[in-house]
Amino acid sequence: MSALLTPELLRRLEQFQLLAARRAKSSAKGERRSRARGQSVEFADYRNYVAGDDLRYLDWNLYGRLERLFLKLYEEERELPVRIFLDASESMSFGEPRKFDFARQVAAALGYVALCGFDRVTVVAFPDNSEEAAVRGSLRSVRGRKSSLTFFQNLAQLTAKGAANFNQALRRGALEARQAGVAVVLSDFLDPDGYEPGLGALVGRGFQVNAVQILAPDELNPLTYGDLRLVDSESGAMQEVTFGKFRLKAYQQTVSNYCQRLREYCQARGIHFFSVSSAESLEQLLLRQLREAQLFG
Amino acid sequence: MNFLAPIAFAFAAAIPVVVIFYLLKRKRVVKLVSSTLLWQRFLADTQASSPFQRLRHNWLLIFQILLLLLAVFALARPYFRGQSKESRLRVVILDGSASMQATDEEPSRFEKARAEALQWVNGLRDGEQMMVLLAGASTEVKQSPTSDKGALRRAIESSTPSDASAGLADALKTAGAFTYEKRGEEEVTSGEIHLFSDGAVPPLTELENKNLPVVYHRVGLGGKNAAIVSMEVRANPENPRERAVFAAVANYSTNAISGELELRFDGELVQAKPIELAATNTLPIVFVAPQAKDGVFTVRLNADDILAADNEASAVSLLPQPVRILLVTRGNRFIEKALRGLPNVELSVSPVVTETADTADLVVLDDLGAPVLPRPNLMLFHVGHTNLFSVWEVVKAPPIVDWKNTHPLLRFVNFDNVQVAETLGVKAPAWGVSLVESPQTPLLVAGELDQRRIVWVGFDPLQSTWPLRISFPIFIANAVDWLNPASANASHLIVKAGQAFRLTVGQPVAQGEVTRPDGTKRELQLAGETREVVYGDTSLHGIYRLKAGTNDVTFCVNVMDANESNITPREELSLGRYQKVSASSIKRANLEIWRWIAAAALAVLLFEWWFYHKRTA
Repeated sequence: MSALLTPELLRRLEQFQLLAARRAKSSAKGERRSRARGQSVEFADYRNYVAGDDLRYLDWNLYGRLERLFLKLYEEERELPVRIFLDASESMSFGEPRKFDFARQVAAALGYVALCGFDRVTVVAFPDNSEEAAVRGSLRSVRGRKSSLTFFQNLAQLTAKGAANFNQALRRGALEARQAGVAVVLSDFLDPDGYEPGLGALVGRGFQVNAVQILAPDELNPLTYGDLRLVDSESGAMQEVTFGKFRLKAYQQTVSNYCQRLREYCQARGIHFFSVSSAESLEQLLLRQLREAQLFG
Repeated sequence: MNFLAPIAFAFAAAIPVVVIFYLLKRKRVVKLVSSTLLWQRFLADTQASSPFQRLRHNWLLIFQILLLLLAVFALARPYFRGQSKESRLRVVILDGSASMQATDEEPSRFEKARAEALQWVNGLRDGEQMMVLLAGASTEVKQSPTSDKGALRRAIESSTPSDASAGLADALKTAGAFTYEKRGEEEVTSGEIHLFSDGAVPPLTELENKNLPVVYHRVGLGGKNAAIVSMEVRANPENPRERAVFAAVANYSTNAISGELELRFDGELVQAKPIELAATNTLPIVFVAPQAKDGVFTVRLNADDILAADNEASAVSLLPQPVRILLVTRGNRFIEKALRGLPNVELSVSPVVTETADTADLVVLDDLGAPVLPRPNLMLFHVGHTNLFSVWEVVKAPPIVDWKNTHPLLRFVNFDNVQVAETLGVKAPAWGVSLVESPQTPLLVAGELDQRRIVWVGFDPLQSTWPLRISFPIFIANAVDWLNPASANASHLIVKAGQAFRLTVGQPVAQGEVTRPDGTKRELQLAGETREVVYGDTSLHGIYRLKAGTNDVTFCVNVMDANESNITPREELSLGRYQKVSASSIKRANLEIWRWIAAAALAVLLFEWWFYHKRTA
């Protein structure tokens, strides 16, 4: 069915539904409970009849007992907007397996769970790429399980290229959304300008934010030693470094500190944070880490 | 300031290398990575602890060059010439005698001694000096006092043992002269004498009361040795055409040794006798062999022992020639009769010294006053007022109190019943020894003057009872034998190893050539108008051949020294009656290792530099 996900995994994902801590605020009808009153099977309240109300909702049993007209109110079921922010910058094309491939798999899996739950899924890939404008456009506001095949195909056509402005992309994505919902950020979070403004914008817009940091095995545990001149894939900046086995621990400590600061920042703002290596198993992330964090259930 | 090892300045070549290391830009491998963000943070983390890195870089360079300079300077071993006290001196004496060639130590005693001496050179401390003496027949100073280990090693390595006997007393005296110094009134020892020997040396009684600071390093393990200790060739008394070869073989070990004794004439085997030598015994052997021409008899012992040099002895044997004797006398029947009674003699008698005197082998002058002395060997009876003695007087009835019967002239000669009426009174001369003495004057003097042998008898035999005694013809026979130039030459043709060979030649020669037993040839340059050829390098035993002008002489060099053949290593050496030196077991450790430490420090420093740069980008 999809090159991104195995049929076995898709079958298991079908059992799940995205869990939103907040009531859906979308205007479109869906299958999520919302604060709005509307037409569903869930009874919510009574109110006095006023002229013009639909007579079909009068409670005739109550009229028989009290001889007063009351109108039965039901909960309105709305859709849950899910926005997946996918980092498609050059830096994501590194790693063995590639970080971008891993990120697309996660996006596909989460998107599939949302589509099965009749939620509206939007994938925001950044930075902008004019060559992929059509594909990227068709990844916006996808709804319904029937769309999943197209959704996967479009995801598979995305490429990682160019230099990203992480914060700008997230801020813009937050503003674009008409209703806040669930936001999933898939990135390596290695932007020289930091990640705080972008994540802050999403939280401020009312999104329930989930941050998944994907790092390549080579970034966690470099295997190239000696006198090196490192070239940044996005900015082209150069950094000279002499690296050996005996400095590996110090490097790992630096990486660990960086991830820990990111985790603390997220925890302080109610963001679910996950850090994975692109070499890790996808099932491990989806079926254990994300479930334990009650992203879906 | 001077340097003992200026070659170490070559290490200064390392300074430009260090500078080049700093000048060189390191070649870096370019690598494309996803992001340099983590690396920037990593460098920021690690470099946070060394904020003054650039400054330290420069100081490090200066510091390293300074350290390198110091190390090079130390390796060059600088020293100052000062007025300070002379340093301690170690005198190494290597025993280079025949016994040191024994093979009980691997490969030989001398090699073992040499190796031990080299260890002491390696252990020489700074400021200490060493000198090297090689004690063979004569003492050779191989190296005068120095701290230069290279020179000392070369001196020791160039030393070789000889077949001569050890002149240790001379070597110790020479060494002793260096190890004492005068401080005010008293003499203080300022050094040590290290003697590397097996102790098989003649008694060192001359060194009594010298109190030498000797450390005796004994080499040698066993004493299994048999040797030919004496050899003589004489006419066979029973058959004058044959020669009797007398040899004595001694066994110095405590076990019996069996073997075979060979007699060779000019290299050809003549006879061989099996011998069985009991422990510490000496066995006399007599060979009788015909001799048709002049040649060399060699006795060789084939036995399993550890010293080969003393298993062979040679002797030159010349065919007997008639002795031409001129007797100048106014009439002395006793002398004439005694001379005529001798075998193989051509005697002519004359009342005056004739011109033919110079062609005789021997001239006998009897009772002549102040004659001109002829050139041949002389026997003088009551001949006064010559230039032989400085004082001439007449002594009446001198009693004979002493005579030396160990001298070949007085063999079997007895003066017990001899009375002398009157004799010429003289003083003992430098050219000869007094053989018969009275309290006032020597009566009989024998010696060598101007390359001729002289026997001088101070009294007229007719003025004594001597001609009536049996000792007179015996003395005449002995004297003719001793004065016969042929026998004198034959005895000259055998020398002990290490002693000089002398040859008197008729015409002065300017150069000569010696063929040694090992086949090597040595040119001799003789100084001017000399009629005596002296060859001193008789370190090898065997048969030598000397050619000088028209002279072609074969002579033999033998070890034949009981002190050298008795090669059992001595536990202690006696220096006279009171002082004994025990064998020392001190081994010199190689103490001087600071160069190695300095070199290691240098290596560590370079490694530290490399490591430092490996850690910091």
